[in-house]
Amino acid sequence: MRQLAIFGWLFLGVSIMTGQEAESKQDSLHFLFEPDSLYLEVGESATIKISLLTEDDQLSQNAFFIYSGIRKAVSAHPRISDSTGVAVVEVRAHRPGQHVLKVRSISVKRTDRVEKKIPVEVPYPPINLVEFNDPVKKLYAGTTIHYSVTAYDETDLIRDDVRAALSTSDKTVAQFDRFGNLTAHRPGRVTLRAEIEEAAASLPVRVMKSPVRGIELSSPVEEARTGDVVQFTAKALASRAGQVVRDAPVKFSFTGRADYGEGLPASGQITEDGRFVAETAGLYTIYANSGGYSASKTIGIVPRNVRKQVELVGHGLVKDFHTSDLWVWAGVGEFTGRDFAATGTWGANGETYFWEVTDPANLVIIDTVTVDARTVNDVKVSADGRIAVITREGASNRKNGFVILDVANPFDVKILSEFNHDMTGGVHNAFIYDHYVYAVNNGRKFDVINIEDPIRPYRVGVYELDSPGHSIHDVWIEDGIAYTSNWQDGVHAIDVGGLARTESNTPLISANPLLRVAGQGSPTDPVPIAQLEDTTGRNHAAFPYLSQSTGKFYIVAGDEDFPTGFNASEERISKAAGGFHFMDFSDISNAHEAAIYQVPEAGAHNLWVKGDTLYAAFYQGGLRVLDISGDLLGDLYAQGREIAFYLSESKEGVFANAPMVWGPQPYKDLIFFSDFHSGLYALRLVTADKKPDTN
Amino acid sequence: MRGAGARFGWGLGWLLALQAISGPLGARDYYVYVAAESEDEVSLIRFDGQEAQVVKNIRVGVWPVEIEAPHGLTISPDGAYWYLSVAHGFPYGHVYKYSTGDDQWAQRVELDQFPATMQVSPATGLLYVVNFNLHGEKEPSSVSVIDPETMTEVDRIETGVMPHGSRLSPDGLKHYSVAMMDGELYEIDAVSFVVIRKLHLGKGGTANETMPTTKPTWVYPDPGGEFVYVTNNGTDEVVEVALEQWRITRRFKTGRGPYNCEVSHDGKLLVVTYKSEAATAVWDLKAGKELARLANTRKVTHGVVISPDDRYAFVSVEGVRGEPGSVDVIDLHTLSMVATAEVGKQAGGIAFWKMEDRAPAGKEMGGARP
Repeated sequence: MRQLAIFGWLFLGVSIMTGQEAESKQDSLHFLFEPDSLYLEVGESATIKISLLTEDDQLSQNAFFIYSGIRKAVSAHPRISDSTGVAVVEVRAHRPGQHVLKVRSISVKRTDRVEKKIPVEVPYPPINLVEFNDPVKKLYAGTTIHYSVTAYDETDLIRDDVRAALSTSDKTVAQFDRFGNLTAHRPGRVTLRAEIEEAAASLPVRVMKSPVRGIELSSPVEEARTGDVVQFTAKALASRAGQVVRDAPVKFSFTGRADYGEGLPASGQITEDGRFVAETAGLYTIYANSGGYSASKTIGIVPRNVRKQVELVGHGLVKDFHTSDLWVWAGVGEFTGRDFAATGTWGANGETYFWEVTDPANLVIIDTVTVDARTVNDVKVSADGRIAVITREGASNRKNGFVILDVANPFDVKILSEFNHDMTGGVHNAFIYDHYVYAVNNGRKFDVINIEDPIRPYRVGVYELDSPGHSIHDVWIEDGIAYTSNWQDGVHAIDVGGLARTESNTPLISANPLLRVAGQGSPTDPVPIAQLEDTTGRNHAAFPYLSQSTGKFYIVAGDEDFPTGFNASEERISKAAGGFHFMDFSDISNAHEAAIYQVPEAGAHNLWVKGDTLYAAFYQGGLRVLDISGDLLGDLYAQGREIAFYLSESKEGVFANAPMVWGPQPYKDLIFFSDFHSGLYALRLVTADKKPDTN
Repeated sequence: MRGAGARFGWGLGWLLALQAISGPLGARDYYVYVAAESEDEVSLIRFDGQEAQVVKNIRVGVWPVEIEAPHGLTISPDGAYWYLSVAHGFPYGHVYKYSTGDDQWAQRVELDQFPATMQVSPATGLLYVVNFNLHGEKEPSSVSVIDPETMTEVDRIETGVMPHGSRLSPDGLKHYSVAMMDGELYEIDAVSFVVIRKLHLGKGGTANETMPTTKPTWVYPDPGGEFVYVTNNGTDEVVEVALEQWRITRRFKTGRGPYNCEVSHDGKLLVVTYKSEAATAVWDLKAGKELARLANTRKVTHGVVISPDDRYAFVSVEGVRGEPGSVDVIDLHTLSMVATAEVGKQAGGIAFWKMEDRAPAGKEMGGARP
């Protein structure tokens, strides 16, 4: 053992105790804080004396460190005591919260060290403004309205960590429940009050006798399928026949009885504006009430009945390496009429496989490109079928980036060039749009590379978020808009060129709310146009979806989540979780999550939308096909929208009989997908009598 | 330590002295941990004097389908824990703490971009980690100081662009790192967390070069506390820096791409990995002479650690693409490669855990720890 115990501590005048003598002394050391806790406002400082004492309260002659628990929350100076074991420390508060000041004695042996911490409370700035949000000032007796408030502190920041105490001046007129719902009992005037700390807001409200004398409830259909969103319309009617009380609040609710008594219950969802969706077949009665009057209407819900069979057409086994992403495209030139696919490899030898898939029952590797990488995570082919880009991670010289290939002859793929400038961190995903490659660089930004001359690519633009700790995972381009997935920053839509407003483009631009506002950005100057953050931090993929049946515009945001936590990979066969979120961007200013598709005990990965069908990779849950036609609301899995699923259980895979579906691509009448454990697959949906599905 | 009384002469006397310290040759087991950066795996290797074998592979990281890149490894001075820097995160990397032996994960702390090389100071007990940040803009990065008990980041000290090679002086009071894209050596007071001095490592010129040719990648203090040795990866040399004068005293022309280095505990030998040459060299520090240059078993030679008895050097070798990494064992007596163990892809960070004397049949012998 190197005799590290003998140090030049005279350098600091600090004596360090070693050996047995030290152990006995260290055992009895203790800290004395004067004062023993701190309460500081942000920006305020205080002085505290800290002593390291022996059992008989003498100075220990042993130095110690001083530091705070969270960097930049509380600072301390000096960071070390004098050699006698005393420090007079200036403590300054930088961030509000419950913090600590820590001390730790310095000793050679780890087990000899003595630690202590004291609380440093830094209160949040006082709330100085409370406001009711869009409050209703006139209520009808017998109705209930929800009220919410926004609170601002002295730094003018909105504070979500505080809760207002809501009350009324006369509970016999109107009264709050603990959730902010105000029920008007009788006509009269009442003042609502919201209090947080010393700040308060008052709102005079008038409760009037309800003119409502009846409710009329209607729906456009008497029967619907599970998953169909039925819009119920309720009219509060006054005494005079047909007169509608437009400002009377109407509450919706429902009861239901499932078609069978065993198994699933009658379940569904109804929104505040009367949109109802059922998850199970049966009879459902929807109620609308206002001011003590109510109406009901019963509708029948039948099974969605979209289930189809799936037929395995072909499997191209990759058993030596993990398979990553895929791309399928139509051959060009002399290969016109033939179809091809490319698949990457993960944690492997830098190989990309090229397949002929013209006969999907006979998936054959026709060429292999090997580059200096361990992972070729992504493969993309240009729209004209001539150029491919493969991404590189784990290059032996750390010069990662992407490689541009000539795939016009898929039997003899040629490397045209590499682009690795300033891409040492690796390119995880990329997309080719027009003559540009959009490459996710080191998980921090996307770079835009001009490949008009694919032998001499050059960087023309960069786009990076400015949020603290931002990170990007994927980029997908459609109609001149880049859809990026950014973990906690969620999905972002970035204008990289929009569409020119021509006669032929006008219908598409009119239908897509993002295209309507696009046109300011370019590959050299990307311009953000919309975003929706993901508070779970799981946003991993994003795919635009213009509903063919409703005209609504969504960004389908896919999770990636491995909740088994640290060392999850010890299990080798991973247990992923998460789903796909349908973010309704029909109104950009009010983007919101409308529905979710989540398969129990499985985890989302990549996706593709074609028409009104979602093709979803669900890792251990296999390849899934989902009917997303019509309006979308609630839990799509529970609504019986799933058309088919396929578990790619290859006994010869990297892990036998363990599906781990990475990414899908619908192509012609087939569904191709890559499986992390077992390679490339081709499926076909078939009807119950095994005929190819032509829908 | 050159010139000190502790120096042994070469030859038989040295060998006998070594044997006196270490017991009968070949009667020891040596244990090293090595990280495979493109495998998200750490391997424990045992070398028994003849064969090097993987005792255990430990999967590391959180995301099974992302390579998180375990890069640096170090062992606490008492041998109870190993610490692992994991370079990639969303976006920041971490340092993980595991107990040795049972290799149980204990805790982790998030740091900055690409935490890499690190060491625990035997004096302060704190862990000093360079945030290599080899991506993106060439901007100054930092050395993070961590309390390894609670895995709390105590401080972050700004240094140069792409700092690497985090090592402490033998007394644990000074921290050294080099900034690859500044071409400078940084000395930090390990107690006050202040940069005390920095030194430009090129010939002439200043640190104002936009892209220094030296590209230093590693620094290692000699056990005597007089010098540090820096590998100038870009100019194929190791420079010796005298700490008292704070100047370069010698330059050793090396093979291509010197990357890591370590000085033997007796101060006599310097083992240097030649990354671009797939070789490892052993230098006589007194003579400033390369004694041997040994081809490694894979391409891209990476790190090196010397056993506490100065008998063996353990070298991690990355390999290329899907090729497994390896740990090559060099006998510093015979200056020959004596064993190899295959590990995961892109073997990089390597740390010596312990050596144990093997008991003759029927006898129990006490172990020796670094």
